[in-house]
Amino acid sequence: MQSQQIQQLFVRYKILALLIAVAIIWIFFHIKTDSAFITPGNLSNLFRQMSITGMLACGMVFVIIAGEIDLSVGSQLGLLGGVVALLTVNHGWGTWPAIGAVLVLGLLIGAFNGFVVTKMRVPSFIVGLGGMLAFRGVVLYITGSSTIAPAPDDLISLGQGFVPPSISRWIGALIFLGMAVLTARRRVRRAKLGLQQGALWIDIARVLAIGLLIFGFVRILNDANGIPIPVMILLGLLAVFTYVSTQTVFGRHIYAVGGNMEATRLSGVNVARVKLVVFALMGLMCAFAGIITVARTGSGSPSAGTGGELDAISACFIGGTSMRGGSGTVYGALIGALVMASLDSGMQLMDVDNSWQMIIKGVILALAVWVDVLSGSNRG
Amino acid sequence: MSEYLFEMRQIVKEFSGVRALNGIDLAVRPGECVGLCGENGAGKSTLMKVLSGVYPYGTWEGEILFDGKPLRAHSVRDSEDAGIVIIHQELMLVPQLSVAENIFLGNEIRKFGGVMDYDAMYAKAEALLARLKLKDVNVAARVSNYGGGYQQLFEIAKALAKNARLLILDEPSSSLTSSETDTLLSIIEDLKKDGVACVYISHKLEEVARVCDTVTVIRDGKHIVTKPMSEMTTHSIITAMVGREIENLFPKMEHDVGEVIFEARHVTCWDVSNPNRKRVDDISFEVRRGEIVGIAGLVGAGRTELVSAIFGAYPGRYEAEVVLEGKLMKIRSPEQAIKAGLSLVPEDRKRQGIVPMLGVGDNITLATLAQYAHAGQIDRQAELQTVDAEIKRLRVKTAGPELAIAGLSGGNQQKAVLIKMLLPQPKVLILDEPTRGVDVGSKYDIYKLMFELAAKGVAIIMVSSEMPEVLGVSDRVLVVGEGKLQGNFPNVGLTQEQVLAAAISHAAESPAHAA
Repeated sequence: MQSQQIQQLFVRYKILALLIAVAIIWIFFHIKTDSAFITPGNLSNLFRQMSITGMLACGMVFVIIAGEIDLSVGSQLGLLGGVVALLTVNHGWGTWPAIGAVLVLGLLIGAFNGFVVTKMRVPSFIVGLGGMLAFRGVVLYITGSSTIAPAPDDLISLGQGFVPPSISRWIGALIFLGMAVLTARRRVRRAKLGLQQGALWIDIARVLAIGLLIFGFVRILNDANGIPIPVMILLGLLAVFTYVSTQTVFGRHIYAVGGNMEATRLSGVNVARVKLVVFALMGLMCAFAGIITVARTGSGSPSAGTGGELDAISACFIGGTSMRGGSGTVYGALIGALVMASLDSGMQLMDVDNSWQMIIKGVILALAVWVDVLSGSNRG
Repeated sequence: MSEYLFEMRQIVKEFSGVRALNGIDLAVRPGECVGLCGENGAGKSTLMKVLSGVYPYGTWEGEILFDGKPLRAHSVRDSEDAGIVIIHQELMLVPQLSVAENIFLGNEIRKFGGVMDYDAMYAKAEALLARLKLKDVNVAARVSNYGGGYQQLFEIAKALAKNARLLILDEPSSSLTSSETDTLLSIIEDLKKDGVACVYISHKLEEVARVCDTVTVIRDGKHIVTKPMSEMTTHSIITAMVGREIENLFPKMEHDVGEVIFEARHVTCWDVSNPNRKRVDDISFEVRRGEIVGIAGLVGAGRTELVSAIFGAYPGRYEAEVVLEGKLMKIRSPEQAIKAGLSLVPEDRKRQGIVPMLGVGDNITLATLAQYAHAGQIDRQAELQTVDAEIKRLRVKTAGPELAIAGLSGGNQQKAVLIKMLLPQPKVLILDEPTRGVDVGSKYDIYKLMFELAAKGVAIIMVSSEMPEVLGVSDRVLVVGEGKLQGNFPNVGLTQEQVLAAAISHAAESPAHAA
């Protein structure tokens, strides 16, 4: 019983450690930039910047948990963004039909990748490597290597707009209430079935801590016009992906496939289908990220998303996803994305040379995974 | 000077407050073989990890003396330098490397500048293998060309190449045929004459009785007894291991055998890497309601291939017709097999049975998760209720259903895998080596469960290499040899010799090659 509590705390501690890391990074930059970092305006920008990597990370964390990798997501993002720009700018499609078409296209591209990996049995690393080149080539071909602009206003507002402060406040309150109700309902359910309960104070402390985070988050962003729409979309995706990974049969199967594919197959799980759907979801996330990229910049650039796969993969690993598959969390990956975005934003504010930015990000990635390895081996 | 080559005194090892070892003593004289017995989870593996330096000096309490001097190994390398070598249950050979390269792995004979001296390594490898009476081995050929029996002996050669003075063998015969085990045991006897000391860890007490001079039994992390083998019997060892009398290893229960409910027809499997070779050649058999059918044979005879083809899990090309309750079923994947009413508990627990990082509960419900879900959403509480009930029913020892299954002992992992495959309520249950690496107490529980299931009308097919188990549990015994059905005996007055004769008589090649 006692060792269980310790273990539970350790699992919690991992998130805490990540959040503490974010706090340290923020305070460091705040001091170094003469208090220009932790301001509503800058944080609003920061969250908006991270939303694209965050969307890719949502899909990527499933791919990595399932024991695969997708190196083509940056090029997929570029292709799907290019298509939405082409459809709206050159072909006169309405924004919403274009978005719908691109979402479906993303799903199909992802499913195709998944098909090549599972049915044709080409290792995903190679499929990704090939896709990285091929998809980028397709963008260059269909855009004629030139930027497609200007995107229609309603598309741009998706990338640059805000959820008004009054609605933001309500959304925050609703999320908090939802968390509290879910926690209470679980306790009641468990009590009714006579199952073991976690300590009450842990649950209460958790709900309160989350409430505090939401409150602070909404408060700060409301000082800068409200929650940016891409951030709102990312929060929605976080909720959906967390739900899928923790509450659904499909989610459990992703972990099982990544943890031991052979045992999972022999348990009657269609492992090929699980992986195929995971790749399809990855493609869908590339579509989201591609659309938001075009909406933020107001144009479809043929080079959009270059290196995006590396940011997404780094975010997953910083966020504690196991390299061998089988374990990881969506919120961890998003905090990982926040770390990467914070480093980018802070170093830009400090006017650090681009070469140094790359060196520092690379070192931090290796360090973060090293720390994870250390804490992992301590448990054995 | 002590008479012992090696002594462990009052070893205590704790994991986050739980005492896995609680004052263990173990002592070995030069040229002596000590049998270390204990149920899974008794602490044998932990003890061996302390001994071999996997848990460095300082992370445990107590004292280790080697050659009369305290041994403070900070790594496996330290203990190997002292002359202690472990041979693990799972073979630790690199299949792509040659026999000689494996024997000298990490210990290569070099010329100047780190260049490998192949001539010297080949010569010395041949000498080592000659000492183990292996003469027809090409030391330059890949290890993967040789069967499991040979590979086990290569491991011993590897240990000897490190000048091992204390050899620790952890379940060395678990993947060997009985003739291979025989060779292994006589080699250990030879090594003893050369002054090499051994610790022999095994659940197979006949082997312990044959090769060991002294037996040490541990239970629940405590030292129970150390006596000369001459004063012990397998029965008294079992009693000491379990802590209670087990009158009958096989708790046989009367069960009625009904009509034929399962038929496998013309099962044929082709080798994955050599498509011209048939691993299973046109085997047909039937099983009745409530009948336990044992499938015996040498390792590599095609038994595992046969049952995996029936279950739709054979990785290569195969043909099989499965008839269940008179209906021809279309089974090309485990998913379809489970839906049709078949369950398979696979042979290799680690690779095919458990998902190590997932919790015990998540593993248990893996095959039936959809049952606890509404529109794809898992009802966690309902799931937990089933898990809790099953864990209690089969006495799975775990601190909680959410703990990773990797932390359980082999016997408890096996029980969890069994539960997983029983939850779909199969009509036909296929068990491939259900008690491999499982302790006596868990074995008893598993046999009891099998009899209960048979009494409920489940047809059970059990592949097993342990002859007493085949004869103790089965109603009927099928013997497979060379991929063909070599015998079909009702288990009435059947003897081990009869089964063995059927298994071997058709095997033209040596068993090691068939493996």
